[in-house]
Amino acid sequence: MAFKGGYAGKLLYVDLTKEKIEKVPLDEDLAKKYIGGAGLAAKLLFDLIPKGIDPLSPSNVLGFFVGPLTGTLFPQASRYTVAAKNPLTNAWGEAHSAGFWGPELKLAGYDGIIFTGKAKRPVYLYIDNEEVEICSAKGLWGMKTFEAMDKVTQIHNDPQIESVAIGPAGENLVRFAGIFTRNGRVAARSGMGLVMGSKNLKLIAVRGTKGLDVAQPDEYLDSVKAWYDKVLSHPYTEGRVKYGTTELIDMMQSIGRLPTYNMRQGVFDEWENISCDTYRDKYLLRPRADYACIQRCGRFVSVATGPYKCLGKGPEYECLSALGSRCGNSNLASIIYIHHLCDEYGMDSIGTGSVIAWAMECYEKGILTEEDTGGLAFNWGDHELIVRLVEMITKREGIGDLLAEGSYRAAKRLGRGMEYVMHVKGQDIASQEPRAQKSMGLAAATASRGADHLYAFPVLDEGEVFAKEIRQWYGTEYLPEIGERLSPKNKGFMVFHNENYSVLIESLGVCKYGTMVPPALYYEDIIRAIEVTMGWKFSERELKKVGERIVNLNRLFNVREGITRKDDSLPERLTKEPAPLGIPKGQVVELDTMLDEYYQYRGWDKKTGRPTKKKLKELGLEEEAKKL
Amino acid sequence: MPKILVVDAGKCVGCRDCELICSAQHYQTFKSSLSGVATIKFDEISRDVPMVCQQCEKPACQAVCPVNAISRDEETAALVTNYDLCIGCKACVSACPFGAIHFDDEEKRPIKCDLCDGDPDCVKICPSEALKYEEADRATMAKRRESIVHLPELLKLITREKE
Ligand code: SF4
Ligand code: SF4
Repeated sequence: MAFKGGYAGKLLYVDLTKEKIEKVPLDEDLAKKYIGGAGLAAKLLFDLIPKGIDPLSPSNVLGFFVGPLTGTLFPQASRYTVAAKNPLTNAWGEAHSAGFWGPELKLAGYDGIIFTGKAKRPVYLYIDNEEVEICSAKGLWGMKTFEAMDKVTQIHNDPQIESVAIGPAGENLVRFAGIFTRNGRVAARSGMGLVMGSKNLKLIAVRGTKGLDVAQPDEYLDSVKAWYDKVLSHPYTEGRVKYGTTELIDMMQSIGRLPTYNMRQGVFDEWENISCDTYRDKYLLRPRADYACIQRCGRFVSVATGPYKCLGKGPEYECLSALGSRCGNSNLASIIYIHHLCDEYGMDSIGTGSVIAWAMECYEKGILTEEDTGGLAFNWGDHELIVRLVEMITKREGIGDLLAEGSYRAAKRLGRGMEYVMHVKGQDIASQEPRAQKSMGLAAATASRGADHLYAFPVLDEGEVFAKEIRQWYGTEYLPEIGERLSPKNKGFMVFHNENYSVLIESLGVCKYGTMVPPALYYEDIIRAIEVTMGWKFSERELKKVGERIVNLNRLFNVREGITRKDDSLPERLTKEPAPLGIPKGQVVELDTMLDEYYQYRGWDKKTGRPTKKKLKELGLEEEAKKL
Repeated sequence: MPKILVVDAGKCVGCRDCELICSAQHYQTFKSSLSGVATIKFDEISRDVPMVCQQCEKPACQAVCPVNAISRDEETAALVTNYDLCIGCKACVSACPFGAIHFDDEEKRPIKCDLCDGDPDCVKICPSEALKYEEADRATMAKRRESIVHLPELLKLITREKE
């Protein structure tokens, strides 16, 4: 095999219509150009998905990819990427998840699985190293996520099997259905669970017992020590272990960036009820890690008594905000319980919270009436209602059928309330109120999969803790504005820079925690990791080009689907309605100025948002440009 | 006094770093069947238990070995396999009551913890102090001390129930 380490060297193609399975060697030049994970997804799916298809039709292609570091000891090397045409945006779609499934897939001998077509009956894929089989999911269809994953370990009599699965939400084509791992991690966004459901694919069970080699084992082990020291000694890591991401509730509240009452304001007066200390004192049992993870942000919680009694994986920040502050709900036990339901039914809690918050605001404004809701009152903070709605959405019952379409499509179908939909390109904005941090507004507008905070993940301007790294990442040239949350200046550069780095991280198959927040590891460490793992020498400049290439290819996919500058937009609330409270009071997002600057760094046409010929040539994307 | 490897499953977060470093140090690859330690996951209750050889005082593995390939290291007290003698019969795999010996299909040999010559790498990498390497006569004192922290709470619970 040509690969010296990191890669399994093989892709699995599964044609669900013909029930045909093919194993294809991974091309080394392709791997050098796109690395793996999100990069490989960008390239292979750009080539395979025809223009203009319905994302729910059999012509959509669903790909799962791990990166070359996935399965090694690199800190947080647990990730996989899943991608397809996005049923929320009708453009590029991808989602990522930690857990143990990605590494297991690598150890079974595969760098990715590509599903085409649609199964005639519900099926699941079973992989045991070389053995790959499409099995009937007759007994599994209809089951909740974890129930189905447990069942599959019984069917094959192997408790070590790692699975990813959809729940009833994905089967019932809820637009924001996600794909779940056994330990409760979710590839949540872009409606990937819906695409999986539309293909009649319930679950992918994997058992891998092979070894994974690295190019330079001795050097690798020396580097491991250095990487671990950097991550563990970063001042931010301690809080991660102690609070997970729930610490962000307190922090966002303090800077007026905690979306509340849909996304009307960034301050929640009942925030203390959902703060990180309340969470920790009342419900936390212990932190839990993913594969090779020393950030340990996973939470395991218990609500011991009452109507919300439950035990399981605890909500993280996004979920606390989506089902909490955005819905005006400060009953923490209920949030834990609703999160639990979302996991079992298999849907994205951001999408769930967003559509409910939207409906609550519409109800308050009289846009949505009891006639529409079937008599239900949509009052802010009504957690009993939210519980009920989650069930109704899953089963598409009553108003649940409308809400299952997600806020953007629900407003469209209703013909009202679009002004309260907090989306970009049809996908809901995560809990990052951009009037309080301008970089987040630009990031949401430009992200390839629709509204998203993770594609650029601009966080170094969040607060003082990252003063050192802001210099390391961007130099001193852009100071002080680049470090100022409320300044739109130099944020085009910041988002450009971050997107390139972030897609690279996602291509390597490692987590953004440790590499972006905290920014403990950076290009020098990635260069070293690639050298000792794969035996390849890359310069920082070359790696930045890889990132740029992936971002541009994602963009080409979107251009092909008709996306232009006008789609890189934000809801008017965020660009025209001044923030009413807290530190950002009076602020709006100056999106146009930031976009101009961003396009300039990108080498994209400022009017159309299209990558220029010159840029595409520079990145070696001439062939792809011909396929528009 | 030789040290022992003490596992505190209550602290384990399930990252499997101990497994990974073990196979990488001994066999220059990442492969769980080449690791002397394995974390067993119980997702429903979120418990992970690192399982490792107990270096028994009356080792079943050693007793059943027909060619006396397993012997005790004088310094570390670890039971170590001499692969020059080992015939790969897997009797030790069957005999160990903990499943602490794993047979690797590629190396064609039984794999067990050898305490890394008295400086175990799993202990060094564990981010949660779930693995410790300590003198046998004091190893569990720390654990006792930590666990007793909960005693007052427990007492409260018991009294409340009686009320
Ligand atoms: S391998 Fe098993 S029987 Fe042998 S010393 Fe270890 S725990 Fe005891
Ligand atoms: S390294 Fe420590 S925390 Fe991680 S699995 Fe092993 S014992 Fe558990």
